[in-house]
Amino acid sequence: MSVKEQLIEKAKEGKVLTHKCTKCGHLHLSNVYYCQNCGSKDFQDEVLEGIGSIATYTIITVPPAGFEKYTPYAFVVLQLDKTVLRISGFMAGISTPNELPVGTRAKITGFDERGIIMERQ
Amino acid sequence: MEKVCVLGAGSTKYGKLADSIGDIATQASIAAIESAGIDPKDIKAGYISNVFGIADKQVHLGPVLMSNLGISDKPSLSIESACGSGSVAFREAFANVAAGFYDCLVVTGVEKVTHTGTEWTTTYFSYCSDFFYEGQAGASFPGLFASMARAYLTEFDATEEDFARVAVKNHENGLLNPKAHLQKKITIDDVMNSAVVASPLKLYDCCPFSDGASSVILCSEKFAKENGNDYIEVIGSGRGGSPAALQGREHMTTIPSTKIAAQSAYKMAGITPKDIDFAEVHDCFTIAEIVDTEDLGFFEKGKGVQAVREGRTKLNSDISINPSGGLKSKGHPIGATGVGQVVEVFDQLTGKAGLRTVKDAKIGLTHNFGATGASCAVHIFQSV
Repeated sequence: MSVKEQLIEKAKEGKVLTHKCTKCGHLHLSNVYYCQNCGSKDFQDEVLEGIGSIATYTIITVPPAGFEKYTPYAFVVLQLDKTVLRISGFMAGISTPNELPVGTRAKITGFDERGIIMERQ
Repeated sequence: MEKVCVLGAGSTKYGKLADSIGDIATQASIAAIESAGIDPKDIKAGYISNVFGIADKQVHLGPVLMSNLGISDKPSLSIESACGSGSVAFREAFANVAAGFYDCLVVTGVEKVTHTGTEWTTTYFSYCSDFFYEGQAGASFPGLFASMARAYLTEFDATEEDFARVAVKNHENGLLNPKAHLQKKITIDDVMNSAVVASPLKLYDCCPFSDGASSVILCSEKFAKENGNDYIEVIGSGRGGSPAALQGREHMTTIPSTKIAAQSAYKMAGITPKDIDFAEVHDCFTIAEIVDTEDLGFFEKGKGVQAVREGRTKLNSDISINPSGGLKSKGHPIGATGVGQVVEVFDQLTGKAGLRTVKDAKIGLTHNFGATGASCAVHIFQSV
């Protein structure tokens, strides 16, 4: 299974597959193959809980093709708990900013044609 | 390193254009050639920036342009770097003249997408994001910049009305630019009452999808002096990168590539942000102009919004930002924009900017990025 397939499988379990540099400890999302900090190629997989708080978001009302039936919806950047990492995804059923203040608790709940799926906790 | 000069510049009007992508690229290039007072046979190579030629059934635009100019034997390079394509093409041309490979080049940027409609453009532009994480999850480009805007509203003392002031200012400048796409005076209320595209950004916070082409003639100082026409000098050139996706950035109210490119360009020019008389910056959305003016060092982080509120970025104020009208009003034919910014600087520094002239300007800066600033180029120019 490719790294991306593994990432998708973990997202379906509500988790995030990450790459931790074995040399300097720097943590990356799993699409990274060389350490941004020290350049090392040696990583170990680390699986995080896909839980955190909303770092920022938008509510889309003019969507790209394929998203008409979901509109309005939120595109969210989630700050993962206890790490420096953030990950973005799709959140259904959000229509006004007061439903999703920055800092709202949220979690990853799946993966489908809308990418990584998130919900409020 | 050879000194590099801009000897001529020209643009089509930006907006909805009827002619083919190859034809509008050619029209802008002819305008630049005539402005420079050169013969096309003086041109040793061409750099052509474009993103969605596929929408008008023409990719590999370089040889098409060179053939139309009667120099089909000359080499060309077609460059794509999302909305930053034009400045990247300019940079590559600059580097080749600076290195002494060529003494005279044409750099032409072009885009033609308005015939495709909003859904096509919204969808295809989203392919410029880090698609797995962003476009796939339904993020449009307004949505990505709206995410930056939301972060800015959360972190700093700013309001949506403040963003609207950027649009109002750039439309005021664009009214003075006969080539601008949206020549229309607007008010803060017009912006606030326009339809929400991606909260908190509304339609009038967004630049339009535009067709258009811009072209410049770049040459060595020796070539410029022998030619005898007005020219300006490129005194700084810098490029930078950022994580492709917003999620990779610790702060979502700054664009790392802008800072890196600007520092590099200022260093080459031996100047500081205080020396800049005016700047053409990448205001694809109102929030972007505020972030840009901070990252370029004109204002402290979080203070760009206050500068806009106080009118300090208006034409002939503290620092004229986007005297052309910017992407917001002049328009944003994405492959052409970075070259079009250089056309504006050339016109400003050679006395051809008419009613929108920045008074006593000697040094101008261009800032153009791709996607949410994943790639960026900054150039600094000086009158001679």
